[in-house]
Amino acid sequence: MRTSNLIQSYISNNPATQQYNAEKAVKDFDVNKELLNRTFIKPLPSNGKLLRPSLFDLPSEFRKDVMYDLRALKHAAKGEANDHELGRLNDVGMKMGGLAIAAYLFTKKQTPMTKIFEFIGLGTFFAAMDLWPKLFIQLPAYLIHGVNVRQQYEDSFGRKKMFYQDHQFIPWDLYSEQEINSIGDRLNVPKDIPNRREFIQEKMRKIALQNNTLWMLTAGFATPVMSALMCNLLEKPVSNYLSKVKSQKADNLMSNFTDEIKKYKFDDNAKHLESLLQVHTGKPITPELYKEISANITEGLDYMIAHGINKDLEQMMPTESKYTLAPENLAKIQQTIQNAYSKIGLTPEELAKLVPDDNSIINALNERSLLNGDFKDFSEHSKVLQDLLDSRIVELEKTNHPLIKKIIFARTKLVHQPEIGKDSALFKSFKQTSATILTEDMAQALREISATMNSFKAGNIVLEKYTHLKVAQAPETEFADAWNEATKKIFKSLNFTPEEIKKGRFDREIAGAVFREKLEKVVSDPKSYATFMDEMEKTLSTLHSKISKIDITQDASRSQYITHVDNTFQYAVDGLKKHGMKNAVDSLIGYGSDAKTSAKGLMFDFISDRSLGIKSSFYRLLNMVDLYHRISMVENIQGALTEKMPREIKEECAELAKSLMMEAHSSDYAVKFWQKRNPAPNLGDYSQIESSKGKVVNRYFGKTPASGLAELSNDREYFKAVMKLMFQEDLHKDTLDKIGSSGFLEDFKKYRNQVFEILGGDQYFIKPNHIVGAAPKESTSLLRFLLMGSASDEMAFKHFNQVFNSKKWFNMFGKVGAGLAGATILSQFFFGHMKKVTPKQAKEVK
Amino acid sequence: MILPISDFNGKNLVNFGTNKKEENNVSYDHDTLLKNNFVTRTRIGLDKFTKAFTLYPAKGIAGSKNSNFYEFLTMGTVPYVVGSITLMSIFNSTNKHFNPFDNKNAAKLGNKMALGVILYAAFKSISKLFTTVPVKMATGIDTELPYAKVNYLLQENPDDYNNLTSIEYHKVGESVDFPRWDQLYGDPKKGEPINFRYDKIAKKNGLGTNLNDSDQDVKPMYKEVLVKSKLAKSISSFLWAATGVALAFQTPWEDYFNVATLKFWKPKEFGHSLKVLGKSFVESVKELWHGDKESLSKINKHSGKVMICTAAAATILGVLNTIHITKKPASYHSVLDKNKESVVS
Repeated sequence: MRTSNLIQSYISNNPATQQYNAEKAVKDFDVNKELLNRTFIKPLPSNGKLLRPSLFDLPSEFRKDVMYDLRALKHAAKGEANDHELGRLNDVGMKMGGLAIAAYLFTKKQTPMTKIFEFIGLGTFFAAMDLWPKLFIQLPAYLIHGVNVRQQYEDSFGRKKMFYQDHQFIPWDLYSEQEINSIGDRLNVPKDIPNRREFIQEKMRKIALQNNTLWMLTAGFATPVMSALMCNLLEKPVSNYLSKVKSQKADNLMSNFTDEIKKYKFDDNAKHLESLLQVHTGKPITPELYKEISANITEGLDYMIAHGINKDLEQMMPTESKYTLAPENLAKIQQTIQNAYSKIGLTPEELAKLVPDDNSIINALNERSLLNGDFKDFSEHSKVLQDLLDSRIVELEKTNHPLIKKIIFARTKLVHQPEIGKDSALFKSFKQTSATILTEDMAQALREISATMNSFKAGNIVLEKYTHLKVAQAPETEFADAWNEATKKIFKSLNFTPEEIKKGRFDREIAGAVFREKLEKVVSDPKSYATFMDEMEKTLSTLHSKISKIDITQDASRSQYITHVDNTFQYAVDGLKKHGMKNAVDSLIGYGSDAKTSAKGLMFDFISDRSLGIKSSFYRLLNMVDLYHRISMVENIQGALTEKMPREIKEECAELAKSLMMEAHSSDYAVKFWQKRNPAPNLGDYSQIESSKGKVVNRYFGKTPASGLAELSNDREYFKAVMKLMFQEDLHKDTLDKIGSSGFLEDFKKYRNQVFEILGGDQYFIKPNHIVGAAPKESTSLLRFLLMGSASDEMAFKHFNQVFNSKKWFNMFGKVGAGLAGATILSQFFFGHMKKVTPKQAKEVK
Repeated sequence: MILPISDFNGKNLVNFGTNKKEENNVSYDHDTLLKNNFVTRTRIGLDKFTKAFTLYPAKGIAGSKNSNFYEFLTMGTVPYVVGSITLMSIFNSTNKHFNPFDNKNAAKLGNKMALGVILYAAFKSISKLFTTVPVKMATGIDTELPYAKVNYLLQENPDDYNNLTSIEYHKVGESVDFPRWDQLYGDPKKGEPINFRYDKIAKKNGLGTNLNDSDQDVKPMYKEVLVKSKLAKSISSFLWAATGVALAFQTPWEDYFNVATLKFWKPKEFGHSLKVLGKSFVESVKELWHGDKESLSKINKHSGKVMICTAAAATILGVLNTIHITKKPASYHSVLDKNKESVVS
């Protein structure tokens, strides 16, 4: 058979069946012996190696890892990845998820600092995950035992793995005999024991396992705590860095103003206007069209400017004063009447008799001169048609039409009914077509106005961005940073104890009491006062120089901001004046030469108001410190607490001045203060007040029962004395010694004088004579508010809370972190213990 | 579970198999395939969770010879759980020391952070079903099929003759390099055809029925599905987890935080709390999707949509890639060219 022939042929020709004669056979090679012992079955030689990367290798290692991950992703997408690659991709997924969280929260946060900390938080979390085992597991274990418990190796396929990942499969062959012995020496393993390598390996394994377990047990506590502590520590440097970046960014806005405004284009806006103009040029301007055009031009502008532009546009395009009769009105009127009567069952012939034809309507309107021309409304037209309809109904009535009642009823629905208060259907059938036509000239004017305002909007956006970054009352602006820095420094120099901070955080009155107690102590000692004033002088000098750089009122000639504001507003004014837009111009630059009431005035006032508010707060603080020192030393108070003033009133006056400086608001000055005093003070004692340890030693004040006290609203001299004591007495020489050469001294003196005159000169209708000068001084409530600044006790209250909150958190989690780190390191001293094997024992075992 | 060695002497052996009665018994004498259902998953989850906090750390700290990679991986639950609690604590534990105003503000953010931790874990866990369920429906391959592995232990000391086995819970497709194919074969002693599981998968994927070696045809496909589904889960589950965190940061949750209570013994308050929880969840999803309506920034308005769509897209693409199997065996017809003459001798 053919099949058997084929098989026989295959067997006879199969090379495998031939005897293999090796030319170089191994000497004495016994195949049976080899098969029996299986000694020829050996593992492939290992290409793996232990990894010991140095710091310099990290970039290349990082690159290798990224490339590996990309290859892994490619393999996994094709379904060809291995376990190791999939494990790496899981880590990639985790990091992607982390980035997604940070990116989303980034969009939810408002300020650069909070935004950037979303990513810093993520980074520190991953860093903590990596650093905790390295710093508190791997390093101590290495230092204590000489064993690297997080040793990595690269297997034969180039995959990075942890050496002690699986304790059932540790590739010990990667460690040389010498390395193992050296580790054994470090582990104090006796040198002459049998199977020393195995013993050392077991000890290494044990130490690694115990440390890996410790890592698992501690990582849950350690990673979040370590990450949070890292964020806490990074807060200040990041804040300082961002502060510089923001300041530079703001300055760049002014330096590159021309380029910056080009970034804001209003192309969509211009296109929309152009399409409106193209469609409607030559056609009547309807109220809807007017609204669309005015909304387009005023979009993004503040209300004041938009209102001015609208007023001008209303004059340019009157839409509601004149209407014309449109040709299509005729058919619509007929249709309205027909609709009203078609439902009541009239025949087409009857309907034709009832509905006026074209000629009838035209003639009727023409007779009353209502056909051509401009009309305020169409009520007259409606009346004419009503009459026309009535005459036709009368004709039908004469024929005793069976449906006459229905016809009359339907008529009432058509015509005007004052009692219902609605416009009639007939009236509504007149389409209100504006008599004002959008001419080509008008369209061109609107194009130019729009272009001018779009350019103004761009400039305004850049200017507002600048002012926001510099001075806005918002977190992380340059002014806010300067405020925070100054507050922290001043309060820090007073060395409040944790107990005082804890007590003062509850409420501002307690904070004020704590602050006052501390201040009285400091001012009572010239040495501590000098130290404190030194710090205050430094802080206020820094603050003053920072504010002066921004505050245009300080140096207007150097301010690019002023130039850009002037140019931006002037450009808009020139553009608008061409088209006679007086109202818009007024809203931009004010009436006449007074820019205070204009949008331009606001651009300057915003900055100067903010700087005045901040400076006032710190000048007030400085003034308070000086007042407390003057009272403590009983010096520079005699001008207010004169020899003619009874001692009891002096004591009341000193107490009121100290309290006001600490906690008063501008409203307290507005009502000329309120204090319960003794209406019958002791008039036999005119001595000066005394003080001890910074406090007034009261001989009379506080001795009269509360029921005997009253508010003395007629004592105008008392008001003057308190104001004088606070703001007009000379500064103490100790104060002047420190701030005498400061750049802010004149400004500070000016502030004291302003408060004395403006707040002291403000008239209160209930106490009209409580003014410091001969006549009342006119001022705005805003100015009085800004001059008062922030109350000192409120500053202290906020500071106490900030310090307490951050310290509380740091104390709690700092201790947890330190405790955990200590316990982790300490426990490693107990790891790796094994029964000691001595050569003697080994011999006995043998 | 460490079993006494006496259970393995052949006398007291229980006939463990895959029927329901036997599965409910937690002892096994050989590696046993388990059904992937809620009860089994819960039992395995509880077993692993308990041991992760008790037995495995004890063995690890003692330096046991028998500690292995499975135990190390299982202990990964510890930092996950402890870390979540610590994170929640970091955001909230100091609040009570602040003044009422600061406390209120800190709690508002802290509660959202804590909820974020919970929703991260919940969304990550649940989102895996978005891949495994459609993949199983489309391919018939259950990528999460569990089995109990009997692990034989080394003696800790020469006198140790007891407790020399332990049970580990793995998944058939846990390793894509070495899937436990043996667990998918039927037991002829029970009358099961040897390849009945492979037959089902082959039929589901259009390889036909009555195949001689369905296991050989299915294995490459099975492996491909395992790899691709693992990739899909790795990427999408973390994106869903991130979506969970984003959801936790929506304002409607503040309504829930105002009434939240776990005092189930006060049914009225607890019921109301649950009702507000549901409402807050729905409103938060809407807010996440619609974004900040009043914001001028497009990023603020659309970031939530981007978040949800990215996670959904990752899942959909991952599933589509998984069910697009490229390693199907070549069919008889595609191997032979019908246009050419062939001779079978």
